[in-house]
Amino acid sequence: MTARLPSLLLLLILLAGWEGWCRFGGLSPLVLPPPSAVLVTLGGEIASGRLWPHLAVTAAEMALGLGIGALVGLGTGILLAEVPALSRLLRPYVLASQLVPKLALGPLFIIWFGFGMTPTIVITALICFFPLMETTLTGLGEVDAARRDLFRMLGASRLQTLLRLKLPTALPVIMAGLRVAVVLALVGAVVGEFIGGRSGLGASIIAAQSVMDSSLIFALFIVITALGMLLYETVRLVERRVLRRFSKG
Amino acid sequence: MPTDPLPTDPSAPGFVAVERASYRYQAGGPAVVDGVDWAIPRGEIHCLLGRSGCGKTTLLKLAAGLLLPSGGAIRIGGEALRGPSPRAGFVFQAPTLLDWLSALDNVLLPVSLKRRPTAADRAAARDLLARVGLADLAERRPRELSGGQRSRVAVARALIGAPDLLLLDEPFAALDALTREELQDDLLRLCALHGTTALFVTHDIGEAVYLGDCVAVMAGGRLTQARRIALPRPRLPALRYTPAFAAACRALREAMDGETGPASRRPAA
Repeated sequence: MTARLPSLLLLLILLAGWEGWCRFGGLSPLVLPPPSAVLVTLGGEIASGRLWPHLAVTAAEMALGLGIGALVGLGTGILLAEVPALSRLLRPYVLASQLVPKLALGPLFIIWFGFGMTPTIVITALICFFPLMETTLTGLGEVDAARRDLFRMLGASRLQTLLRLKLPTALPVIMAGLRVAVVLALVGAVVGEFIGGRSGLGASIIAAQSVMDSSLIFALFIVITALGMLLYETVRLVERRVLRRFSKG
Repeated sequence: MPTDPLPTDPSAPGFVAVERASYRYQAGGPAVVDGVDWAIPRGEIHCLLGRSGCGKTTLLKLAAGLLLPSGGAIRIGGEALRGPSPRAGFVFQAPTLLDWLSALDNVLLPVSLKRRPTAADRAAARDLLARVGLADLAERRPRELSGGQRSRVAVARALIGAPDLLLLDEPFAALDALTREELQDDLLRLCALHGTTALFVTHDIGEAVYLGDCVAVMAGGRLTQARRIALPRPRLPALRYTPAFAAACRALREAMDGETGPASRRPAA
């Protein structure tokens, strides 16, 4: 706690500066609402219960998109690492699919999947897929030749070598990819909702913008950031558990 | 004369028989191992001595079946190798332990890749760990062990399946001199226990003489010398300071100096 004290203090100083600037700088609250007004709005949204359904939608989109994207990314990474011929064949296409701006695919996904959660989940999954695939591919390739020779000497099957040597070795790298994916998942979910969402935190931002409620927009920023930090810390926790089991030490 | 020059006799049926084996990384490229003949009778420890890059690790991998010869053949117990030999245990230059397993589970790895280890397997692994002085450290992970202790776990792992043949690739090269000597004694005791045949690659003359019944010198992909080491067994640490031991080392050193190619010959003093 003592270690976090300085950064907490910095936050208070920044908030005080912001508040002071809004009150005495003659700034319109439409342009920049003071933090006190933002907190009041946030409290009102929480108390009225209007916030929860949107939070639930965004959290669900994020979780589903992250889960699907991470699993498919992991599977693809394993497949490409294990079958180099397939990797040579598909890598350019996988790369191209990632260089297409995925948010620009949003309108197309709305045509394909309709409005609602599905297009956002697909966009989020597409975004989360890449870091997992790349880190899996890299991590699996990092197993040193001597340990591979050891498993060959011991007559290990390909599946055994994958499950008992390559994946445990690659796990720290894969977990780092998962942490990147978590951050991207939040962006994917919120921005996906900008395009086609009817509910969710991103859709709420668009709705607040249409009535120029900048204080609500800021309140939603706080909620989105909190959601992201919560998920990130959860993944860190899982990571620490997994690595304690599977890593050095 | 403690060592007498004695080329390995191709007519003697060795347990391990290397017959005109050669290996090239690319077809048409230079031979890393160039027509090597070698026979290791059952129960003997042979050392392969040479400078870095002379092809000794490649020859060892050929004997393990990790590489297949471009020409010639390797036979173990009369059977030509077509892949990694299940009868051989291999100890690598680095201990190559799995960081996420305890010392005991690392020793049990060869078993657990084939079946679920039984209580008897665990007892055997603990026994091996005790024989290399790690009885109390069985539950530790590799990171919590010293370099010498990790090497001991690696040796125990290579011996868990009671292999007929033990192949070792400079396993103690990274250890300090005292630890290295202790491990050499451990290895001799373990090999004597089941009469294990061993092929030990090293660049350390003293190590080769102390361990080997026969020491072959390799240079430029060929065996240039093979000498029997006529020192008594069991070999005990005091042997290292006897004149006979020193003479054997000197003879090998002279053999190595005489056989280096012009490219690696030092300038005349």
